[in-house]
Amino acid sequence: MPALWSFLDKFESHVCRILLAAFVTLLFVQIVARQAFGFSITWIEEVSVILFVWFAYFGASHAARIAAHNRVGFHLNALSREKARIVEAVGDLFWILFNLVFIWQAIQFISRLKPFVKAQTLGWEMRHVYLVLPIAFTLMTLRILQVNYLKLVHGIDPADPDRASVEAALELAEDEQRAYEKVKR
Amino acid sequence: MDSYLVEILFGGFFALLALGAPITVALGVSSLAAMLYLSDNPIKMVQMAWSSVGSFPLMALPSFILAGALMEAAGLSRRLIAVAESLAGPFTGGLSAATVMACLFFGAISGSGPATTAAVGMLMIPAMVRQGYGAGYAASVTAAAGGLGIIIPPSIPMVIYGISAMGMQPPAEAVEAHGAFQSVSISKLFIAGFMPGVVMAGGLLAMNYIRSRMRGFHGSSEPLSIRKILAACYQGFWALLAPVVILGGIYSGFFTPTEAAIVAIFYTLFVGLVIYRELDLREVIKSLDTTTWLAGRVLLVLFTATIFGRILVENDIPGVIAGGILALTTNLYLIWAMVIGLLLVVGMFMETLAAIMILVPVMLPVAYMVGIDPIHFGIVMICTLSVGFQTPPLGENLFIASGISGISIERISLRAIPFAIASVIAIFIIACFPDIALWLPRVLGY
Repeated sequence: MPALWSFLDKFESHVCRILLAAFVTLLFVQIVARQAFGFSITWIEEVSVILFVWFAYFGASHAARIAAHNRVGFHLNALSREKARIVEAVGDLFWILFNLVFIWQAIQFISRLKPFVKAQTLGWEMRHVYLVLPIAFTLMTLRILQVNYLKLVHGIDPADPDRASVEAALELAEDEQRAYEKVKR
Repeated sequence: MDSYLVEILFGGFFALLALGAPITVALGVSSLAAMLYLSDNPIKMVQMAWSSVGSFPLMALPSFILAGALMEAAGLSRRLIAVAESLAGPFTGGLSAATVMACLFFGAISGSGPATTAAVGMLMIPAMVRQGYGAGYAASVTAAAGGLGIIIPPSIPMVIYGISAMGMQPPAEAVEAHGAFQSVSISKLFIAGFMPGVVMAGGLLAMNYIRSRMRGFHGSSEPLSIRKILAACYQGFWALLAPVVILGGIYSGFFTPTEAAIVAIFYTLFVGLVIYRELDLREVIKSLDTTTWLAGRVLLVLFTATIFGRILVENDIPGVIAGGILALTTNLYLIWAMVIGLLLVVGMFMETLAAIMILVPVMLPVAYMVGIDPIHFGIVMICTLSVGFQTPPLGENLFIASGISGISIERISLRAIPFAIASVIAIFIIACFPDIALWLPRVLGY
């Protein structure tokens, strides 16, 4: 069970790895085909743009899980963490509201799309392609609830990913430094 | 124009920011409120969610983030910095000048300011301290020069500026008064950014020379060694080739920026896995993860900023702002001073990419009205926002330089003030002489 939970906790991240690796590789194949063999595979550009948009919104949901979305929060640092968490939760309430409106509109939009509206070269029905929008925004809403539950009930603030990436950058640079000194000697 | 629209849009935006809501939410909710006020159908948002993100040029954003992350993990960055370090020699302030040069080189493979500061600072700050530079000075010069990472192409803020500005047509009155404007493209921005980056670096180098002289930071006793430089270049051959491939490909028109980024990714994978053998699968997956959340959060802001910008433009709010400014003054230099001053303040408090997406729909029409070229305007905007990396409270470079040197953020930011002044002078020079930015793209036929 814990393995399943940890998988679900990083679900969007796993999806995004695959999508990112897929569209980057497809574009590389396209470049090689064009520059080296002089022909272009017409469907690649369209499919990679679709994968990219899916990647963007699942990525936004993953960013919500790790609380990466930038806030302008210097005035909140003056408050105690307990009070600041409540203020942030009120801010997040507006986020959930926005997402609910968006999900509702997206469902409306998709249900009105006729089956003959298709992607130009792939022939995929656009209503299936667009289905990712309500799914990703629903996941994002669940992530906002999850983070606020952790914050308000358990008092756990997610690690600031910008701070964490600074630490990771420093760690990496330290490794580099050691390797560099080894070469010098 | 509707009487309360401005209050709803901007009042809602700032109220939500004050509540601590993410920037993207503040944009989205205030736009939604404005749509309901104007009795627009919010179903338009769905189409915009797709069209704002789903464009081929925008794919350069995740691709350059991924390429930068891989290059660091693959050991390319370290070798580039070693080349710059070998150039230090026996000059006054030589090693800190080499730090600025290292940031300049590094900017040519990375599109991010903090990444540049981290990679360069880790090697150069301890080296400077060993040679008798003050630790505070060493940290501040690195934090200041790290901003060059977003000016020297490839640059992630330029991708975002290009995408935001492409959708904005110059107003008809502006075309009538100043003639046709050139179109915006990311390639053009990448070419235009090169010379201004050198000018900004020149400003930092001049200030570094003055301060090192005053404080008596002399160079090392050993003379400049050609052998050492050649050895560093030989060891860094594959790393030095990376900017040649990326920038050469774009400047010659061989690749679009998106394609150049894709090529950079596979080039780095090849060098990291086959030649340097410093890259493993774990690090590749880590790079994919970092790219995911960085790109995900930026692209969500792009979606809501697109709705916000559309409402602004449809209701001619930028035109009203432009009219207000032109009623105050029509002096081009005063307007530049106001723009640069505002951008410096915004850069202190807001994340760079979000600031660009919010300010382009507001400021670019003003620039068009006074006859400023959109490419030139974008370069000045990015140069100015790069100063924000070294100014508190949101100075990412300060956090990193402080983490490496162990000096407090307050002290570094005080020491960095002269460098900020040098950068602002360089920005005014770039603003007053448009040809610094526009000459190179013209010569290359863009």
